[in-house]
Amino acid sequence: MRKFYEGGFQPAMTRREAGLILGVRENVHPEKVKEAHKKVMVANHPDAGGSHYLASKINEAKDVLLGKTKGGGSVF
Amino acid sequence: MAGKLIANLIVMGSGIIGRAMLQAYRKALDNANKTGVAHETINNIRRASKTMTEQEARQILGVSEQSTWEEIAQRYDNLFERNATSGSFYLQSKVHRAKECLENVYQKNKQDGTPP
Repeated sequence: MRKFYEGGFQPAMTRREAGLILGVRENVHPEKVKEAHKKVMVANHPDAGGSHYLASKINEAKDVLLGKTKGGGSVF
Repeated sequence: MAGKLIANLIVMGSGIIGRAMLQAYRKALDNANKTGVAHETINNIRRASKTMTEQEARQILGVSEQSTWEEIAQRYDNLFERNATSGSFYLQSKVHRAKECLENVYQKNKQDGTPP
């Protein structure tokens, strides 16, 4: 059994966190991102008993990985 | 003769630079304390590292202040299972931590004798 990640979500989503949420690598092909987003979203859809907060995080993760919103990225 | 002179200069120069660096470092620490930047940084690190707030935990599980523990446990089981089969491990972790956080809150309430 793997150890669970500690703590809550980061205050600002980075590409790294977005990748973790969707279960893909950071620089994966956009098609793969859409596929992963669909899969994770189905599992957490609010209409099927998922939570709105997680759904919004999943959507944000997709946007960050597709470059629609600027991810926090590197501090340097 | 010349070699000795150069060596002397180098030793003296590095001593002066070293002292200046030390003073700059002290001054920077001083400034950080005065303006509260240091405080903020430490708080950020603490917040980001280990803990989840009760508010965030409730948002993640999608429960309100009035929810009973049974409701929370049910939501948790559901979300955890779903993310185990077709979600991501990261989200599963968040769901787990949220339950952990609320578990603490509800246990404390029980000991105090106040209804959840």
